Amino acid sequence: MSSITVDGLTRRFGDLIAVDHLSFDVKEGEIFGMLGPNGAGKTTTIRMLACLISPSEGSAIIEGHDIVSDSIKIRQIVGILTETQSLYERLTVYENMAFFSEAYGVSNTDHRRERIGELLEFFDLWERRGHPVGTLSRGMKQKLAMARALVHNPSVLFLDEPTVGLDPEASRMIRDLIQKLSQHQKCTVLLCTHRLEDAERLCSRVMIVNRGRNMITGTPQELGERIAGRRTLEITLRELSESVIEAVRASRHVEAVDVNNLESKLLVTADDLDSITPEIVKDLVSAGGLITGVNITRPSLEDAYLSLIREGPT
Amino acid sequence: MRIDKVLLVFRKDWAELRRNWQVVLPIVLLPLMISMSLPMILNSLSNSITMPGSALGTFEIIIRNLPYQTRREVEGMTYPQATIYMISIYLIAPVFLTIPILTSSVIASDSFAGEKERRTIEALLATPMSDAELFMGKVLVAFVPSVTITAGSSIVYSIATDLILSGLFNGRLLFPNPIWILVTFGLAPAIAIASIGLTVMISLRVKGFREAQQLSAFLMIPIMLLTFVQVSGVMILGSVIMLGSIVLFLMIDAILLYHGVEAFKRDEILSKLA
Repeated sequence: MSSITVDGLTRRFGDLIAVDHLSFDVKEGEIFGMLGPNGAGKTTTIRMLACLISPSEGSAIIEGHDIVSDSIKIRQIVGILTETQSLYERLTVYENMAFFSEAYGVSNTDHRRERIGELLEFFDLWERRGHPVGTLSRGMKQKLAMARALVHNPSVLFLDEPTVGLDPEASRMIRDLIQKLSQHQKCTVLLCTHRLEDAERLCSRVMIVNRGRNMITGTPQELGERIAGRRTLEITLRELSESVIEAVRASRHVEAVDVNNLESKLLVTADDLDSITPEIVKDLVSAGGLITGVNITRPSLEDAYLSLIREGPT
Repeated sequence: MRIDKVLLVFRKDWAELRRNWQVVLPIVLLPLMISMSLPMILNSLSNSITMPGSALGTFEIIIRNLPYQTRREVEGMTYPQATIYMISIYLIAPVFLTIPILTSSVIASDSFAGEKERRTIEALLATPMSDAELFMGKVLVAFVPSVTITAGSSIVYSIATDLILSGLFNGRLLFPNPIWILVTFGLAPAIAIASIGLTVMISLRVKGFREAQQLSAFLMIPIMLLTFVQVSGVMILGSVIMLGSIVLFLMIDAILLYHGVEAFKRDEILSKLA
Protein backbone atom coordinates (compact mmCIF):
# COMPACT_ATOMS: atom_id res chain seq x y z
CA MET A 1 0.00 0.00 0.00
CA SER A 2 1.32 3.43 -0.97
CA SER A 3 1.98 5.84 1.86
CA ILE A 4 3.11 8.69 -0.39
CA THR A 5 1.89 9.15 -3.97
CA VAL A 6 3.34 12.05 -5.90
CA ASP A 7 1.97 12.88 -9.33
CA GLY A 8 3.46 15.54 -11.60
CA LEU A 9 4.51 17.74 -8.68
CA THR A 10 5.90 21.04 -9.95
CA ARG A 11 7.08 24.19 -8.22
CA ARG A 12 8.12 27.39 -9.93
CA PHE A 13 9.79 30.41 -8.33
CA GLY A 14 9.30 33.08 -10.97
CA ASP A 15 11.09 31.78 -14.06
CA LEU A 16 12.96 29.10 -12.14
CA ILE A 17 11.47 25.61 -12.14
CA ALA A 18 12.70 24.10 -8.88
CA VAL A 19 10.67 20.88 -9.18
CA ASP A 20 9.57 19.73 -12.60
CA HIS A 21 6.69 17.24 -12.89
CA LEU A 22 8.05 14.86 -10.29
CA SER A 23 6.18 11.58 -9.86
CA PHE A 24 6.96 8.71 -7.51
CA ASP A 25 5.37 6.64 -4.81
CA VAL A 26 6.60 5.32 -1.50
CA LYS A 27 5.17 2.23 0.15
CA GLU A 28 4.16 2.09 3.79
CA GLY A 29 7.22 1.43 5.95
CA GLU A 30 9.61 1.93 3.04
CA ILE A 31 12.80 3.99 3.26
CA PHE A 32 12.91 5.90 0.00
CA GLY A 33 15.98 7.92 -0.88
CA MET A 34 16.09 11.11 -2.87
CA LEU A 35 19.55 11.91 -4.20
CA GLY A 36 20.73 14.84 -6.21
CA PRO A 37 23.23 17.68 -6.30
CA ASN A 38 22.64 21.01 -4.55
CA GLY A 39 19.73 22.85 -6.14
CA ALA A 40 18.25 19.66 -7.58
CA GLY A 41 14.89 20.35 -5.92
CA LYS A 42 15.06 17.89 -3.01
CA THR A 43 14.35 20.42 -0.26
CA THR A 44 11.58 22.09 -2.28
CA THR A 45 9.97 18.67 -2.78
CA ILE A 46 10.09 17.95 0.94
CA ARG A 47 8.68 21.40 1.69
CA MET A 48 5.76 20.77 -0.65
CA LEU A 49 5.10 17.32 0.82
CA ALA A 50 5.24 18.74 4.36
CA CYS A 51 2.69 21.39 3.29
CA LEU A 52 5.10 24.25 3.90
CA ILE A 53 4.81 25.52 0.36
CA SER A 54 2.14 24.76 -2.19
CA PRO A 55 2.83 23.18 -5.56
CA SER A 56 2.45 25.20 -8.75
CA GLU A 57 1.14 22.08 -10.47
CA GLY A 58 0.50 18.42 -9.74
CA SER A 59 -0.64 16.67 -6.59
CA ALA A 60 0.51 14.46 -3.76
CA ILE A 61 -1.35 12.22 -1.36
CA ILE A 62 0.16 11.30 2.00
CA GLU A 63 -1.55 8.57 4.01
CA GLY A 64 -4.74 9.34 2.09
CA HIS A 65 -4.61 13.11 2.63
CA ASP A 66 -4.15 15.66 -0.14
CA ILE A 67 -1.30 18.11 0.44
CA VAL A 68 -3.33 21.07 -0.79
CA SER A 69 -6.75 20.49 0.75
CA ASP A 70 -5.76 18.65 3.94
CA SER A 71 -2.56 20.34 5.00
CA ILE A 72 -3.25 20.52 8.76
CA LYS A 73 -3.94 16.76 8.93
CA ILE A 74 -0.72 16.04 7.02
CA ARG A 75 1.33 18.23 9.36
CA GLN A 76 -0.06 16.21 12.28
CA ILE A 77 1.15 12.87 10.93
CA VAL A 78 4.43 14.00 9.39
CA GLY A 79 7.73 14.50 11.19
CA ILE A 80 10.30 16.64 9.47
CA LEU A 81 14.01 17.16 9.91
CA THR A 82 14.73 20.30 7.99
CA GLU A 83 17.88 21.24 6.12
CA THR A 84 18.65 23.78 8.86
CA GLN A 85 18.20 22.51 12.39
CA SER A 86 15.55 25.15 13.18
CA LEU A 87 16.06 25.04 16.94
CA TYR A 88 15.49 27.87 19.40
CA GLU A 89 18.96 28.56 20.71
CA ARG A 90 17.90 30.59 23.74
CA LEU A 91 15.50 27.91 24.92
CA THR A 92 16.74 24.83 26.70
CA VAL A 93 16.81 21.37 25.15
CA TYR A 94 13.72 20.40 27.16
CA GLU A 95 11.85 23.62 26.36
CA ASN A 96 12.41 23.08 22.63
CA MET A 97 11.04 19.56 22.88
CA ALA A 98 8.12 20.62 25.08
CA PHE A 99 7.13 23.42 22.70
CA PHE A 100 7.12 21.24 19.61
CA SER A 101 5.45 18.39 21.44
CA GLU A 102 2.55 20.68 22.40
CA ALA A 103 2.49 22.29 18.97
CA TYR A 104 2.06 18.82 17.45
CA GLY A 105 -0.87 18.19 19.76
CA VAL A 106 0.64 15.92 22.42
CA SER A 107 -1.68 17.41 25.01
CA ASN A 108 -1.39 14.90 27.84
CA THR A 109 1.32 16.26 30.17
CA ASP A 110 2.42 12.85 31.50
CA HIS A 111 2.56 11.36 28.02
CA ARG A 112 4.50 14.37 26.79
CA ARG A 113 7.02 14.20 29.63
CA GLU A 114 7.47 10.46 29.11
CA ARG A 115 7.97 10.79 25.34
CA ILE A 116 10.45 13.66 25.66
CA GLY A 117 12.39 11.77 28.35
CA GLU A 118 12.48 8.64 26.18
CA LEU A 119 13.81 10.54 23.15
CA LEU A 120 16.35 12.61 25.08
CA GLU A 121 17.65 9.45 26.78
CA PHE A 122 17.92 7.69 23.43
CA PHE A 123 19.87 10.55 21.88
CA ASP A 124 22.10 10.99 24.96
CA LEU A 125 20.72 14.45 25.59
CA TRP A 126 18.93 13.89 28.89
CA GLU A 127 21.86 15.22 30.92
CA ARG A 128 21.79 18.40 28.82
CA ARG A 129 18.03 18.94 29.07
CA GLY A 130 18.39 22.12 31.11
CA HIS A 131 21.06 23.67 28.88
CA PRO A 132 20.28 26.33 26.26
CA VAL A 133 20.46 24.84 22.78
CA GLY A 134 22.99 27.51 21.80
CA THR A 135 25.56 25.82 24.04
CA LEU A 136 25.30 22.42 22.30
CA SER A 137 27.71 21.13 19.66
CA ARG A 138 26.53 20.83 16.06
CA GLY A 139 26.17 17.07 16.35
CA MET A 140 24.08 17.39 19.52
CA LYS A 141 21.84 19.94 17.81
CA GLN A 142 21.37 17.56 14.91
CA LYS A 143 20.36 14.80 17.32
CA LEU A 144 17.95 17.17 19.05
CA ALA A 145 16.43 18.17 15.70
CA MET A 146 15.97 14.46 14.96
CA ALA A 147 14.37 13.92 18.38
CA ARG A 148 12.02 16.84 17.71
CA ALA A 149 10.96 15.28 14.40
CA LEU A 150 9.92 12.13 16.31
CA VAL A 151 8.27 13.76 19.32
CA HIS A 152 4.70 13.09 18.12
CA ASN A 153 5.30 9.53 16.83
CA PRO A 154 4.82 10.45 13.15
CA SER A 155 3.82 7.78 10.66
CA VAL A 156 5.74 9.56 7.86
CA LEU A 157 9.20 11.06 8.24
CA PHE A 158 10.89 13.53 5.93
CA LEU A 159 14.59 13.63 6.68
CA ASP A 160 16.82 16.16 4.98
CA GLU A 161 20.45 15.18 5.53
CA PRO A 162 19.91 13.41 8.89
CA THR A 163 23.54 12.42 9.48
CA VAL A 164 25.19 15.68 8.50
CA GLY A 165 27.55 16.99 11.19
CA LEU A 166 27.46 13.75 13.17
CA ASP A 167 30.41 11.61 14.22
CA PRO A 168 30.52 8.03 12.88
CA GLU A 169 29.00 6.59 16.05
CA ALA A 170 26.10 9.02 16.07
CA SER A 171 25.58 8.55 12.32
CA ARG A 172 25.28 4.84 12.87
CA MET A 173 22.85 5.38 15.72
CA ILE A 174 20.63 7.51 13.46
CA ARG A 175 20.84 4.95 10.64
CA ASP A 176 19.89 2.14 13.03
CA LEU A 177 17.01 4.21 14.34
CA ILE A 178 15.69 4.93 10.84
CA GLN A 179 15.84 1.22 10.06
CA LYS A 180 14.08 0.35 13.30
CA LEU A 181 11.34 2.91 12.67
CA SER A 182 10.77 1.49 9.22
CA GLN A 183 10.82 -2.18 10.22
CA HIS A 184 9.08 -2.18 13.59
CA GLN A 185 6.77 0.84 13.44
CA LYS A 186 6.06 0.78 9.70
CA CYS A 187 7.10 4.41 9.56
CA THR A 188 7.52 5.62 5.97
CA VAL A 189 10.77 7.54 5.48
CA LEU A 190 11.67 9.93 2.68
CA LEU A 191 15.39 10.49 2.99
CA CYS A 192 17.29 13.26 1.23
CA THR A 193 21.01 12.83 1.46
CA HIS A 194 24.33 13.56 -0.13
CA ARG A 195 25.82 10.60 1.71
CA LEU A 196 25.49 7.87 -0.83
CA GLU A 197 26.61 5.24 1.64
CA ASP A 198 23.61 6.16 3.82
CA ALA A 199 21.27 5.73 0.85
CA GLU A 200 22.92 2.48 -0.16
CA ARG A 201 22.68 1.03 3.34
CA LEU A 202 19.22 2.26 4.24
CA CYS A 203 17.03 2.74 1.20
CA SER A 204 15.05 0.02 -0.49
CA ARG A 205 14.69 2.37 -3.47
CA VAL A 206 16.31 5.61 -4.47
CA MET A 207 15.39 8.34 -6.91
CA ILE A 208 18.07 10.50 -8.46
CA VAL A 209 16.83 14.01 -9.18
CA ASN A 210 18.55 16.75 -11.12
CA ARG A 211 17.19 20.16 -12.06
CA GLY A 212 13.91 19.19 -10.43
CA ARG A 213 13.42 16.12 -12.59
CA ASN A 214 13.29 12.45 -11.75
CA MET A 215 16.28 11.02 -13.63
CA ILE A 216 15.82 7.43 -12.51
CA THR A 217 14.28 5.37 -9.71
CA GLY A 218 15.21 1.88 -8.55
CA THR A 219 17.00 -0.15 -5.91
CA PRO A 220 20.58 1.00 -5.25
CA GLN A 221 21.86 -2.21 -6.93
CA GLU A 222 19.64 -1.76 -9.97
CA LEU A 223 20.78 1.81 -10.44
CA GLY A 224 24.43 0.80 -10.11
CA GLU A 225 24.08 -1.85 -12.80
CA ARG A 226 21.75 0.10 -15.08
CA ILE A 227 23.75 3.31 -15.10
CA ALA A 228 27.34 2.58 -14.22
CA GLY A 229 27.61 -0.70 -16.13
CA ARG A 230 27.85 -4.38 -15.36
CA ARG A 231 29.91 -6.16 -12.74
CA THR A 232 33.55 -6.75 -13.62
CA LEU A 233 36.09 -9.39 -12.65
CA GLU A 234 39.22 -7.86 -11.19
CA ILE A 235 42.31 -10.12 -11.25
CA THR A 236 45.51 -8.96 -9.59
CA LEU A 237 48.74 -10.70 -10.66
CA ARG A 238 52.26 -10.60 -9.35
CA GLU A 239 53.45 -9.70 -12.85
CA LEU A 240 51.69 -8.95 -16.13
CA SER A 241 52.91 -10.55 -19.35
CA GLU A 242 51.57 -10.69 -22.92
CA SER A 243 51.01 -14.44 -22.71
CA VAL A 244 48.88 -14.04 -19.59
CA ILE A 245 46.80 -11.25 -21.12
CA GLU A 246 46.31 -13.28 -24.32
CA ALA A 247 45.25 -16.30 -22.30
CA VAL A 248 42.48 -14.31 -20.65
CA ARG A 249 41.37 -12.75 -23.93
CA ALA A 250 41.18 -16.22 -25.46
CA SER A 251 38.99 -17.58 -22.64
CA ARG A 252 35.44 -18.44 -23.56
CA HIS A 253 32.68 -15.80 -22.94
CA VAL A 254 35.17 -12.99 -22.20
CA GLU A 255 33.94 -9.84 -23.91
CA ALA A 256 36.65 -7.33 -23.01
CA VAL A 257 39.84 -7.09 -21.00
CA ASP A 258 41.16 -3.81 -19.61
CA VAL A 259 44.79 -3.84 -18.54
CA ASN A 260 46.05 -1.79 -15.62
CA ASN A 261 49.85 -2.14 -15.91
CA LEU A 262 50.53 0.11 -12.96
CA GLU A 263 48.70 -2.13 -10.46
CA SER A 264 49.21 -5.36 -12.45
CA LYS A 265 45.45 -5.79 -12.75
CA LEU A 266 43.16 -7.18 -15.42
CA LEU A 267 39.53 -6.01 -15.53
CA VAL A 268 37.43 -8.59 -17.30
CA THR A 269 33.94 -7.94 -18.67
CA ALA A 270 31.76 -10.94 -19.39
CA ASP A 271 28.27 -12.32 -18.94
CA ASP A 272 27.59 -14.62 -16.02
CA LEU A 273 30.85 -13.89 -14.18
CA ASP A 274 29.93 -16.21 -11.31
CA SER A 275 30.14 -19.35 -13.47
CA ILE A 276 33.04 -18.43 -15.78
CA THR A 277 35.44 -17.03 -13.16
CA PRO A 278 36.93 -20.47 -12.26
CA GLU A 279 37.57 -21.16 -15.98
CA ILE A 280 39.37 -17.85 -16.45
CA VAL A 281 41.49 -18.45 -13.34
CA LYS A 282 42.39 -21.93 -14.64
CA ASP A 283 43.42 -20.51 -18.06
CA LEU A 284 45.54 -17.87 -16.35
CA VAL A 285 47.36 -20.37 -14.14
CA SER A 286 47.97 -22.59 -17.19
CA ALA A 287 49.53 -19.62 -18.98
CA GLY A 288 51.96 -19.16 -16.05
CA GLY A 289 50.18 -16.27 -14.32
CA LEU A 290 50.80 -15.86 -10.59
CA ILE A 291 47.46 -14.66 -9.15
CA THR A 292 47.44 -12.63 -5.93
CA GLY A 293 43.78 -11.64 -5.91
CA VAL A 294 40.42 -12.24 -7.60
CA ASN A 295 37.42 -10.02 -6.98
CA ILE A 296 34.06 -9.43 -8.64
CA THR A 297 33.26 -5.73 -8.34
CA ARG A 298 29.74 -4.36 -8.41
CA PRO A 299 29.19 -0.78 -9.64
CA SER A 300 28.19 1.25 -6.61
CA LEU A 301 25.36 3.72 -6.20
CA GLU A 302 28.07 6.36 -6.14
CA ASP A 303 29.26 5.29 -9.61
CA ALA A 304 25.69 5.42 -10.84
CA TYR A 305 25.03 8.79 -9.25
CA LEU A 306 28.18 10.40 -10.58
CA SER A 307 27.65 8.94 -14.02
CA LEU A 308 24.09 10.23 -14.14
CA ILE A 309 24.80 13.69 -12.77
CA ARG A 310 27.87 14.27 -14.96
CA GLU A 311 26.78 12.70 -18.20
CA GLY A 312 23.01 12.27 -18.04
CA PRO A 313 21.19 8.94 -18.23
CA THR A 314 22.71 6.15 -20.33
CA MET B 1 -8.47 29.66 15.96
CA ARG B 2 -7.41 27.72 19.07
CA ILE B 3 -6.51 30.01 21.99
CA ASP B 4 -4.25 27.39 23.62
CA LYS B 5 -2.08 27.33 20.47
CA VAL B 6 -1.95 31.14 20.35
CA LEU B 7 -0.81 31.14 23.98
CA LEU B 8 1.71 28.38 23.24
CA VAL B 9 3.39 30.55 20.58
CA PHE B 10 3.20 33.53 22.95
CA ARG B 11 4.86 31.57 25.80
CA LYS B 12 7.61 30.29 23.50
CA ASP B 13 8.39 33.73 22.09
CA TRP B 14 8.16 35.31 25.54
CA ALA B 15 10.65 32.77 26.96
CA GLU B 16 13.01 33.57 24.09
CA LEU B 17 12.53 37.30 24.38
CA ARG B 18 13.24 37.61 28.08
CA ARG B 19 16.59 35.87 27.61
CA ASN B 20 17.62 38.25 24.84
CA TRP B 21 19.24 41.14 26.72
CA GLN B 22 20.03 42.97 23.48
CA VAL B 23 16.29 43.39 22.99
CA VAL B 24 15.13 43.60 26.62
CA LEU B 25 17.57 46.25 27.88
CA PRO B 26 16.73 49.07 25.45
CA ILE B 27 12.98 48.50 25.62
CA VAL B 28 12.96 48.56 29.43
CA LEU B 29 15.69 51.05 30.25
CA LEU B 30 14.88 53.78 27.73
CA PRO B 31 11.23 54.25 28.80
CA LEU B 32 12.29 54.10 32.46
CA MET B 33 14.92 56.79 31.90
CA ILE B 34 12.41 58.97 30.06
CA SER B 35 9.77 58.64 32.76
CA MET B 36 12.28 59.39 35.56
CA SER B 37 14.10 62.26 33.88
CA LEU B 38 11.13 64.21 32.49
CA PRO B 39 9.72 65.24 35.91
CA MET B 40 13.20 66.48 36.90
CA ILE B 41 13.47 68.51 33.69
CA LEU B 42 9.99 69.94 34.35
CA ASN B 43 11.08 70.96 37.83
CA SER B 44 14.12 72.84 36.56
CA LEU B 45 11.97 74.45 33.84
CA SER B 46 9.54 75.70 36.46
CA ASN B 47 12.40 77.57 38.12
CA SER B 48 13.47 79.25 34.89
CA ILE B 49 10.09 80.20 33.37
CA THR B 50 9.98 83.65 34.91
CA MET B 51 13.62 84.40 34.11
CA PRO B 52 14.07 87.16 31.54
CA GLY B 53 14.61 85.78 28.03
CA SER B 54 13.17 82.34 28.85
CA ALA B 55 12.02 80.48 25.73
CA LEU B 56 8.90 79.45 27.62
CA GLY B 57 7.66 83.06 27.52
CA THR B 58 5.88 82.24 24.26
CA PHE B 59 3.64 79.81 26.15
CA GLU B 60 1.51 82.72 27.22
CA ILE B 61 0.16 82.96 23.66
CA ILE B 62 -0.55 79.23 23.53
CA ILE B 63 -2.36 79.32 26.87
CA ARG B 64 -4.42 82.31 25.74
CA ASN B 65 -5.52 80.47 22.60
CA LEU B 66 -6.38 77.19 24.31
CA PRO B 67 -9.79 75.67 23.60
CA TYR B 68 -12.37 76.61 26.24
CA GLN B 69 -12.41 73.19 27.91
CA THR B 70 -8.62 73.08 28.27
CA ARG B 71 -8.37 76.72 29.35
CA ARG B 72 -10.71 75.94 32.25
CA GLU B 73 -8.19 73.39 33.53
CA VAL B 74 -5.57 76.10 34.06
CA GLU B 75 -7.94 78.73 35.44
CA GLY B 76 -6.70 80.11 38.71
CA MET B 77 -3.14 78.92 38.11
CA THR B 78 -0.14 81.20 38.05
CA TYR B 79 1.71 81.53 34.72
CA PRO B 80 4.53 79.09 35.73
CA GLN B 81 1.95 76.60 37.06
CA ALA B 82 -0.14 76.79 33.87
CA THR B 83 2.93 76.41 31.66
CA ILE B 84 4.25 73.37 33.55
CA TYR B 85 0.73 71.91 33.68
CA MET B 86 0.38 72.23 29.89
CA ILE B 87 3.80 70.70 29.24
CA SER B 88 3.47 67.85 31.73
CA ILE B 89 -0.06 66.86 30.71
CA TYR B 90 -0.33 67.70 27.01
CA LEU B 91 3.11 68.16 25.42
CA ILE B 92 4.74 65.16 27.05
CA ALA B 93 1.88 62.80 26.19
CA PRO B 94 3.14 62.19 22.60
CA VAL B 95 6.57 61.32 23.99
CA PHE B 96 4.94 58.41 25.79
CA LEU B 97 3.18 57.39 22.60
CA THR B 98 6.58 56.66 21.07
CA ILE B 99 7.16 53.96 23.73
CA PRO B 100 4.60 51.45 22.37
CA ILE B 101 5.94 52.10 18.87
CA LEU B 102 9.54 51.59 19.92
CA THR B 103 8.95 48.49 22.05
CA SER B 104 6.42 46.76 19.85
CA SER B 105 8.41 47.31 16.66
CA VAL B 106 11.59 45.94 18.28
CA ILE B 107 9.80 42.87 19.65
CA ALA B 108 7.68 42.26 16.55
CA SER B 109 10.64 42.54 14.18
CA ASP B 110 12.64 40.16 16.40
CA SER B 111 9.73 37.74 16.56
CA PHE B 112 8.80 37.76 12.86
CA ALA B 113 11.88 38.80 10.84
CA GLY B 114 14.28 37.50 13.54
CA GLU B 115 12.79 34.03 13.31
CA LYS B 116 13.35 34.08 9.55
CA GLU B 117 16.90 35.35 10.01
CA ARG B 118 17.77 32.70 12.61
CA ARG B 119 16.25 30.09 10.30
CA THR B 120 14.03 28.69 13.02
CA ILE B 121 10.83 29.42 11.16
CA GLU B 122 10.75 26.29 9.00
CA ALA B 123 10.21 23.89 11.91
CA LEU B 124 7.61 26.23 13.38
CA LEU B 125 5.70 26.40 10.10
CA ALA B 126 5.84 22.60 9.81
CA THR B 127 3.69 22.21 12.94
CA PRO B 128 -0.06 21.70 12.60
CA MET B 129 -0.83 25.18 13.93
CA SER B 130 -2.78 27.43 11.59
CA ASP B 131 -1.36 30.61 10.05
CA ALA B 132 -3.77 32.69 12.14
CA GLU B 133 -2.70 30.97 15.40
CA LEU B 134 0.98 31.57 14.68
CA PHE B 135 0.30 35.17 13.67
CA MET B 136 -1.82 36.00 16.71
CA GLY B 137 0.67 34.38 19.10
CA LYS B 138 3.40 36.56 17.69
CA VAL B 139 1.24 39.70 17.75
CA LEU B 140 0.44 39.00 21.41
CA VAL B 141 4.10 38.67 22.40
CA ALA B 142 4.81 42.10 20.95
CA PHE B 143 1.61 43.66 22.31
CA VAL B 144 1.66 42.57 25.97
CA PRO B 145 5.20 43.78 26.85
CA SER B 146 4.84 47.04 24.91
CA VAL B 147 1.55 47.94 26.62
CA THR B 148 2.91 46.86 30.02
CA ILE B 149 6.08 48.92 29.58
CA THR B 150 4.07 51.95 28.42
CA ALA B 151 1.70 51.65 31.37
CA GLY B 152 4.61 51.15 33.77
CA SER B 153 6.47 54.17 32.38
CA SER B 154 3.34 56.26 32.55
CA ILE B 155 2.75 55.30 36.19
CA VAL B 156 6.38 56.02 37.10
CA TYR B 157 6.15 59.39 35.32
CA SER B 158 2.87 60.25 37.07
CA ILE B 159 4.17 59.40 40.55
CA ALA B 160 7.50 61.17 39.97
CA THR B 161 5.79 64.27 38.57
CA ASP B 162 3.35 64.44 41.48
CA LEU B 163 6.18 64.06 43.96
CA ILE B 164 8.62 66.49 42.34
CA LEU B 165 6.10 69.18 41.36
CA SER B 166 3.91 69.05 44.46
CA GLY B 167 5.70 72.15 45.79
CA LEU B 168 4.97 74.16 42.65
CA PHE B 169 1.27 73.21 42.73
CA ASN B 170 0.96 73.71 46.49
CA GLY B 171 0.27 70.03 47.17
CA ARG B 172 -2.22 69.59 44.32
CA LEU B 173 -1.67 66.37 42.40
CA LEU B 174 -1.61 66.49 38.58
CA PHE B 175 -2.05 62.74 38.20
CA PRO B 176 -4.08 60.61 37.74
CA ASN B 177 -5.41 62.63 34.85
CA PRO B 178 -8.20 61.64 32.41
CA ILE B 179 -6.05 62.56 29.38
CA TRP B 180 -3.24 60.32 30.58
CA ILE B 181 -5.63 57.49 31.37
CA LEU B 182 -6.83 57.71 27.77
CA VAL B 183 -3.23 57.94 26.48
CA THR B 184 -2.01 54.98 28.53
CA PHE B 185 -4.92 52.60 28.30
CA GLY B 186 -6.56 53.71 25.06
CA LEU B 187 -4.32 55.37 22.51
CA ALA B 188 -1.04 53.61 23.42
CA PRO B 189 -2.45 50.06 23.01
CA ALA B 190 -4.17 51.10 19.77
CA ILE B 191 -0.89 52.57 18.47
CA ALA B 192 0.99 49.44 19.62
CA ILE B 193 -1.29 47.23 17.52
CA ALA B 194 -0.86 49.49 14.49
CA SER B 195 2.90 49.43 14.99
CA ILE B 196 2.91 45.63 15.26
CA GLY B 197 0.73 45.33 12.18
CA LEU B 198 3.04 47.51 10.13
CA THR B 199 6.19 45.83 11.48
CA VAL B 200 4.74 42.44 10.54
CA MET B 201 4.03 43.62 7.00
CA ILE B 202 7.58 44.95 6.74
CA SER B 203 9.09 41.87 8.44
CA LEU B 204 7.46 39.54 5.96
CA ARG B 205 9.09 41.40 3.10
CA VAL B 206 12.61 41.80 4.46
CA LYS B 207 15.21 39.18 5.34
CA GLY B 208 16.54 40.40 8.70
CA PHE B 209 15.12 41.92 11.86
CA ARG B 210 17.43 44.95 11.70
CA GLU B 211 15.96 45.96 8.34
CA ALA B 212 12.47 45.49 9.76
CA GLN B 213 13.32 47.53 12.84
CA GLN B 214 14.85 50.37 10.83
CA LEU B 215 11.88 50.60 8.49
CA SER B 216 9.46 50.47 11.41
CA ALA B 217 11.10 53.63 12.82
CA PHE B 218 9.16 55.60 10.20
CA LEU B 219 6.13 55.11 12.44
CA MET B 220 7.61 57.69 14.80
CA ILE B 221 7.06 60.48 12.25
CA PRO B 222 3.29 61.05 12.87
CA ILE B 223 3.87 61.06 16.63
CA MET B 224 6.69 63.60 16.32
CA LEU B 225 4.38 65.71 14.15
CA LEU B 226 1.78 65.60 16.91
CA THR B 227 4.33 67.11 19.32
CA PHE B 228 5.22 69.91 16.90
CA VAL B 229 1.56 70.65 16.19
CA GLN B 230 0.92 71.05 19.92
CA VAL B 231 4.02 73.17 20.56
CA SER B 232 3.02 75.47 17.71
CA GLY B 233 -0.41 75.88 19.31
CA VAL B 234 -2.31 74.66 16.26
CA MET B 235 -3.97 71.82 18.19
CA ILE B 236 -4.08 70.39 21.68
CA LEU B 237 -4.46 66.68 22.37
CA GLY B 238 -7.71 67.14 24.30
CA SER B 239 -10.16 64.42 25.24
CA VAL B 240 -12.24 64.79 22.05
CA ILE B 241 -9.20 64.56 19.76
CA MET B 242 -7.90 61.74 21.93
CA LEU B 243 -11.11 59.72 21.62
CA GLY B 244 -11.19 60.42 17.88
CA SER B 245 -7.57 59.25 17.58
CA ILE B 246 -8.36 56.05 19.48
CA VAL B 247 -11.26 55.28 17.15
CA LEU B 248 -9.11 56.11 14.10
CA PHE B 249 -6.27 53.89 15.30
CA LEU B 250 -8.67 51.05 16.13
CA MET B 251 -9.90 51.18 12.55
CA ILE B 252 -6.30 51.22 11.27
CA ASP B 253 -5.57 48.27 13.63
CA ALA B 254 -8.45 46.26 12.20
CA ILE B 255 -7.23 46.88 8.64
CA LEU B 256 -3.60 46.10 9.47
CA LEU B 257 -4.43 42.95 11.44
CA TYR B 258 -6.66 41.72 8.64
CA HIS B 259 -3.93 42.30 6.06
CA GLY B 260 -1.32 40.89 8.46
CA VAL B 261 -3.20 37.60 8.78
CA GLU B 262 -3.68 37.60 4.99
CA ALA B 263 0.03 38.25 4.39
CA PHE B 264 1.22 35.69 6.97
CA LYS B 265 1.20 32.70 4.66
CA ARG B 266 3.60 29.81 5.05
CA ASP B 267 4.00 29.64 1.31
CA GLU B 268 4.99 33.30 0.98
CA ILE B 269 7.42 33.19 3.90
CA LEU B 270 9.25 30.07 2.81
CA SER B 271 9.25 30.97 -0.88
CA LYS B 272 11.25 34.04 0.06
CA LEU B 273 13.70 31.88 2.02
CA ALA B 274 14.09 29.38 -0.84
